Amino acid sequence: MRLRGLTKRFGETLAVDRLDLDIPTGTMFGVVGPNGAGKTTTLSMATGLLAPDAGLVEVYGVDLWREPARAKPLLGVLPDGLRVFDRLTGAELISYAGLLRGLPADVVAQRRDDLLAALDLAGAARTLVADFSAGMTKKITLACALVHAPRLLVLDEPFEAVDPVSAGVIRRILAQFVAQGGTVVLSSHVMALVERMCDHVAVIGAGRVLATGSLDEVRAGADLEERFFDLLGARGPEAGLAWLRPS
Amino acid sequence: MVATVLRLKLRLLANTMQREVWRVILVVLGALWALSMVPGVVGGARWLAFQPLEVRSSALVVVGTVLLVGWTVIPVLMFGADETVTPRKFAVLGPDPRRLAPALAVAATLSVPALFTGFVCLASMLAWREEGGPTTAFALASGAAAFATCVLASRVVTAFATRLLSTRRARELAGVLGGLVALCAVPVGISLGSLGLEGALERLPGLATALSFTPFGAAWAAPAAAAAGEWAGAFGHLLLAWGFVGAGMLVWVAQVDRLMVDPPSTVGAARRRADAFVGEVGAPGPTTTARLARAVARRALRYWLGDPRYLASLASTLLMPLLIAVLLAVVGLSSVSGAVLVAPLVAGAVGWGRHNDTAFDGTAFWLHVSAGVPGVADRAGRVLALSAWAVPGVVAIAVGGAWLAGRWDVLGASLGLALGLYGAGLGVAMVSSVLLPYPAPRAGDSPFATETGSVGASLVAQLVATLATAVLAAPVVVLFWLTAEGRASLGGVVLAVGALGGVLVLAAGVVLGGRLLDARGAQLLARLT
Repeated sequence: MRLRGLTKRFGETLAVDRLDLDIPTGTMFGVVGPNGAGKTTTLSMATGLLAPDAGLVEVYGVDLWREPARAKPLLGVLPDGLRVFDRLTGAELISYAGLLRGLPADVVAQRRDDLLAALDLAGAARTLVADFSAGMTKKITLACALVHAPRLLVLDEPFEAVDPVSAGVIRRILAQFVAQGGTVVLSSHVMALVERMCDHVAVIGAGRVLATGSLDEVRAGADLEERFFDLLGARGPEAGLAWLRPS
Repeated sequence: MVATVLRLKLRLLANTMQREVWRVILVVLGALWALSMVPGVVGGARWLAFQPLEVRSSALVVVGTVLLVGWTVIPVLMFGADETVTPRKFAVLGPDPRRLAPALAVAATLSVPALFTGFVCLASMLAWREEGGPTTAFALASGAAAFATCVLASRVVTAFATRLLSTRRARELAGVLGGLVALCAVPVGISLGSLGLEGALERLPGLATALSFTPFGAAWAAPAAAAAGEWAGAFGHLLLAWGFVGAGMLVWVAQVDRLMVDPPSTVGAARRRADAFVGEVGAPGPTTTARLARAVARRALRYWLGDPRYLASLASTLLMPLLIAVLLAVVGLSSVSGAVLVAPLVAGAVGWGRHNDTAFDGTAFWLHVSAGVPGVADRAGRVLALSAWAVPGVVAIAVGGAWLAGRWDVLGASLGLALGLYGAGLGVAMVSSVLLPYPAPRAGDSPFATETGSVGASLVAQLVATLATAVLAAPVVVLFWLTAEGRASLGGVVLAVGALGGVLVLAAGVVLGGRLLDARGAQLLARLT
């Protein structure tokens, strides 16, 4: 995936500012950055969910915004902060996603059952997604992103609210996917997780790429978290809340 | 508590007005309208003062009834016209419902319609000013009761309707009740129509007497009784009126209490069921587009059955045509009965009613954008889901209406007009829901909640959709009128033009809306967020 000069402005705020990023095929690519850095905006534009003001998105050489019909089948997307059709049951939501991707019914049924089993959601298959916990909703949305076996997975905060056991399962699924030649892009706030999972990272701040490359290149001998603080000019201990102690 | 809630409401109003010019314009227009009505209200009250006692009494009871009916119906009809401060928002602060509920009721009086209603209640005193001090005192006390009844009724009804639509069993019940009311409206309209306006007026005093023992008329009957010297009756009606206020307050306090700890769950349908998507819909279709459209239709039907927002929006679009049909029946058009017009009005409203359809998906619509669903399949699926129940329903209403009115000769024309309006309305909706989406209540929110900051957008979208539907449906409307005016032989032509034209406009709407969706899917999604 190749991003060139991606720009998005919301009113007065420049959320993403001429952002360039290359994501090599077959990598597990982590995108980190503080709140409001433009991670979600960037990933939304990279997956066809948000029209950029300017810039280019290429997925395996296909211009996503010019030829969406060719590019979108290559992508599996887990967006953050968007709702799902939660009046459907878990099983129905996966089936719906599969059918929308144009898969034949028998294939959809098979993959739905496999995904439900793999993500430990079989017990919730007949329950409305509206009754799911946040972590379960995340998992079912991930299943929707996987159902058509894409070549590139773009996952925005895939581990948020997910319990450790499920996170382990998801990590193994993603690692296997990469081992078979797939590409994964994921964003996270948890440095340790990115450090453990990803072989490539990009640090984003104020709508620009501050550093990118292989994990070792970016952390340059230090801890990823320390590098992150360096790049962003992190602040010291919180001052001014002297009154905040148990009363 | 009262002062705090009032200040909060004023601050919220001020903030929304700063953000949205439309709301300011609306409030100013509303205030101007109310001001323009003031001379009429005062004049009417003065005129009443010179009328015989019975006329005064019946007229005021009717005025009071209209006011209270308005206050109970309109809040449900207009999605959350006044939902800036709702009990639910105070839940986390844990206030005492017995103090919060009255404060919320007082805050609800801070709106143009409420202030105008208050003025009408106060002005009614003018009709009694010649009758001496005690009667005026009764008029003042009962005017206040009437005002309080109106405000409380709107609160209680909104809370009740939200709760009613939130459980599956209750929703089915509401659907059945709504259907019964709709069915009753037609015969009532016809019998009123047969009485004629004058016949109906003659029966007014009897009706007014009956109403004077209900919340609708009790307050308004008290000064009349006092003026007639029936002090027992006067005290009785006044006590009754304030009794209704007290009962309303008790119900409101109980509702607030419950809303804070047990908000209505808006997921009502069967919570556990097998996946019906694969198998039925996924069967190999003629084309990929057809398969996708069937999947979208199945999903939309799930929402029609399981999401109270759809039912609430349907109810609010249907109320207006039913009222129009009843009014037409009462006024008594010579050439065509209201019963014959019910089906076309309902059909047009149901089709037009989906003019904001995409917004009901909310941000969940990303699934369609991300999968790159062809716009035509998306649109066609929505049309299929609605038509699956709406077309048989409209045909049934048309046949029922013709039977009630005894006008089998215009059935063809009525059906033609209905299908034409349905096609035009829904065709326009398929385009406007791509171009002019406005915020809809989110799945899981109260179906009566409205997003702040959407007034202008919703007005523009509704106006555009209405105009476009009217223009597209003009040919079939003209043809229908010619038929009704005596050229019954044209009935077949109307049916053919309506059905074919409706299908054509609908197909054009699906194709055009689909193309626009292909081009602007992501932009649309951004506006739904």
